[in-house]
Amino acid sequence: MRWLWGRPRRDAELAEEIKAHLEMAVAQRIERGESPAVARDNARREFGNATHVAEVTREMWGGASWRAFGRDVRYAARGLRRSPSFTAVSVLTFALAIGANSAVFSVARAVLLAPLPYASPSELMRLYGADVKDPTSRWPFSPADYLDFTAQQQSFSALGALETTTATWLPEKGEPEILSPLYVTPNLFPTVLRVPAQYGRSFTVDESENGKDHKVILAQRFWQRAFGGDRGAIGQRMQLGGDSYEIVGVMPSSFSLGLNEDVYFPLGFGDAMADAVRARKQHYVHVVGRLKPGMTQAAARADVQTIAKRLEREYPESNSDRTVSMMSLHEWLVGDTKRPIVLLQAAALFVLLIACANLTNLSLSRAMGREREMAVRAALGASRGRLARQLLTESVLLAAAGGVIGVLVATSATRVLLAINPGALPRIFTVSIDTQVLVPSIVASILAGGLVGLVPALGIARADLHGSLKEGGRGASGGRGGERVRRVLVVAQIGLAVMLLVGSGLLIRSFEKLTGASTGFDAEHVLTAQLRAGGARYDSASAVNRFYDDVMRSVAAAPGVIAVGGVSILPTQGNVGTSLRIQGKDVDEGRLPDLGYLEVRGDYFKAVRGRLIAGRLFENSDRADGPTVALLNETAAKRHFPNGDAVGARVRIGPDPKSQPITIVGVVADMRDVGSGAPTRPTIIMNHVQQTWDRSLSIAVRTTGDPNSAAAALRRAVKAADPLLAIRNVETLDDVLSSSLAPRRFSLGLVATFAAIALTLAAIGIYGVLSYAVTTRTREFGVRIALGASTHSVLMLVARQGLAWAVLGLTLGIAGALAAGRLIAGMLYGVGALDLWTYFAVAAGLFVVVAAACLLPASRATHVDPLTAMRAE
Amino acid sequence: MSGGQSRIELLQGTLDFIILQTLRWGPQHGFGVAQMIRAHSNETLQVDTGSLYPALHRLERAKLIDAKWDRSDKGQRVRVYRLTAAGRKRLVAERTKWERMTQAIAGILNPPIAEGES
Repeated sequence: MRWLWGRPRRDAELAEEIKAHLEMAVAQRIERGESPAVARDNARREFGNATHVAEVTREMWGGASWRAFGRDVRYAARGLRRSPSFTAVSVLTFALAIGANSAVFSVARAVLLAPLPYASPSELMRLYGADVKDPTSRWPFSPADYLDFTAQQQSFSALGALETTTATWLPEKGEPEILSPLYVTPNLFPTVLRVPAQYGRSFTVDESENGKDHKVILAQRFWQRAFGGDRGAIGQRMQLGGDSYEIVGVMPSSFSLGLNEDVYFPLGFGDAMADAVRARKQHYVHVVGRLKPGMTQAAARADVQTIAKRLEREYPESNSDRTVSMMSLHEWLVGDTKRPIVLLQAAALFVLLIACANLTNLSLSRAMGREREMAVRAALGASRGRLARQLLTESVLLAAAGGVIGVLVATSATRVLLAINPGALPRIFTVSIDTQVLVPSIVASILAGGLVGLVPALGIARADLHGSLKEGGRGASGGRGGERVRRVLVVAQIGLAVMLLVGSGLLIRSFEKLTGASTGFDAEHVLTAQLRAGGARYDSASAVNRFYDDVMRSVAAAPGVIAVGGVSILPTQGNVGTSLRIQGKDVDEGRLPDLGYLEVRGDYFKAVRGRLIAGRLFENSDRADGPTVALLNETAAKRHFPNGDAVGARVRIGPDPKSQPITIVGVVADMRDVGSGAPTRPTIIMNHVQQTWDRSLSIAVRTTGDPNSAAAALRRAVKAADPLLAIRNVETLDDVLSSSLAPRRFSLGLVATFAAIALTLAAIGIYGVLSYAVTTRTREFGVRIALGASTHSVLMLVARQGLAWAVLGLTLGIAGALAAGRLIAGMLYGVGALDLWTYFAVAAGLFVVVAAACLLPASRATHVDPLTAMRAE
Repeated sequence: MSGGQSRIELLQGTLDFIILQTLRWGPQHGFGVAQMIRAHSNETLQVDTGSLYPALHRLERAKLIDAKWDRSDKGQRVRVYRLTAAGRKRLVAERTKWERMTQAIAGILNPPIAEGES
């Protein structure tokens, strides 16, 4: 203990001991007749560097290696201060690479790694119906199926269900507003998800008949917004869809079902079960189950699939070819965001690897330049281990500094990126930079620093330091091995950069194809908004029709408005499905063809400039009480009426074989229905005037000038038609289209940025290694030039080396890209993972950059003055 | 390393042995140890202070020697090192080893002639 306690005193004592030594030496010399000044000089010279003696002596004390570490850090910091440009470049590179990784990782952690905000979330499963012939299809359950599964299954401790809807909220003060409520079975919160209400209570079982008891639970976010977080809200009433609801509970802030829901209503199936057709043939129930403890997914899946088979036999008309499958709730919520996140994380890691390779090269150059310094220090008694540790400390210090800056950058970068792309993630995932992001970032920094320092440190540990001292420090030693390592690193950098370039090239091509591809509509000069005519006052078709007619008529009369229409789902915003029966064709009840379902109203096709291909559009003569008419999109017409006889055909849609027959009166061009650019679903388009059961409609207004100028007219029109109703999501169709591309643009932008960084780093790497090679071969070039080598041949001598690395790196990179193609294949549109054009462009681009990186060192080689080069010896 | 060509650098391990041997004559401070090594080796062995002090502290840590503060003849405060019992024992062992080694080397260098102590 004394060793530790007495440390400062021991330092003082050592200093005194050394001082005494010097004084005695001086005294002795004076006795021998030297003058005091000479004696002091000589004694000091004989003694050597007192600080160094003290330092190596202190090392003998041992006992606390952290102290030695502290000393290393101080030395490293001092050394780094002496070469500010090296330090700046290194810290910046680390900051960039670590920052990129931290930013992406903060998202990856939130989405892929963090547990869902429910108890034992790994037990939670999302169950869905699937077509036996198309296992990738995903259907909600029908109410009757849900109840059967609930009764018969043995693998889950509970099944719960939910259904989405919209409702207009009429606040006590302010304008009405459309909300997104969820219907949830009363057991969903307490039994399935096991999340109790934060205030108040969950629904009781007898409240389970859809809103009949008029109870509502608030999501935390809505409660904060609408009631300012006042707990007195419990027991109060709020006006929803024209009825008064009692607030019985508030959910905790972390709680969400990932659907941006505002409030919850109880869900029951009494009404649905009373209607035989609705009960088994309408699929709208989303099912979540909690596995019994210890139950495996496979066993549970087998269990529910056995039930599905039983139901197939019992209800062939509705259930044949239908099975049930499931995935973890987490997987379901993550959905499509997983692939881009994994891709981005891989790209960020590549950047980090390239940065490490580059910095290794840089510090190798620095280590070679410092060979003499190292040799002197070794001669003065520093052990090789000590010197190697010194180099490692330096690079870890650099990486740590870079890491800290990187994390700071990442914090704000993540915030900015998510702010630019608000819809990029389901709201259930909250991205934050906390310890779970910081710790891996710091560990990654230290590892990266260690990796970068390792090669030079090993070099020092092996190098012939005395040799280098004798040679006058021209650094011939350690050069061979070091050079080989540096070349390998450069080739690896190029390879990794090529992989990133190919990836971003493919994404750019996809994006270009997707934005260039016809959408089937003209988004310019169109304003859209969502309306809902719900509640008791709109329980008749005529009331709904009157409302929408009023609104659309008064908007159409506004100045600058060309056409007004309505649609159940705006282009690129998804689709819903039904099934098709064609009259006069044999029908296999169990295998009705799948068909997308859309409703339009007014001059919708004129507003979005959809194209009529055959027949006619809806007209005013198609009255609510007239014969039911419909349009098909081109895909549906081609698939089901290959002979071009769609117009005039009579069809039925939906599960009920006795439903109202529909006459097809026209065929319209396909419009893009999903943002990903997947092929448009074959779709039937109904006339909303005749099919008013969907109370929500998106209005599309085509204007002559700025579409936003129609917003005021639209609000006025709604207010005039019904002051208790609201509009929401007022945005231009351009914005709708653009946000449908946002996720793709987001990952494309990041991958392309990463690729650009990678290419820059690789170019710097080539430049650095070639420059160094030229410097060490100055004499050789001098001789060559003296012997008459042409400028061109010297130029090529250097450039050939760089280009050879590029070829090697390109080959490896392409091989890697081909191997990694699967990672990206699912994100491409209109190009294959083997798109030749992309590979060609990458190769060409790479050679341009490499040639540029070679140019300077190569031209320096040609300017070697033979006389100077030789004299330098 | 600085120093004349006639001077021999000490191998590590050898220095420890020589220090112990020097302290056999009585307690001594660092400067004194260096002086004695130089004198006893006819100026052949040059001890680098950068080796001497680490060695002294190393030996002290290994409890082969101990140190205390004292006054020199001229009243200077100096740190004086002294052999411990363990140090004495180590010295005997090292001496035996060293003698056998020098004999062996002498035998190799001068095959016909018999031994002599140096």
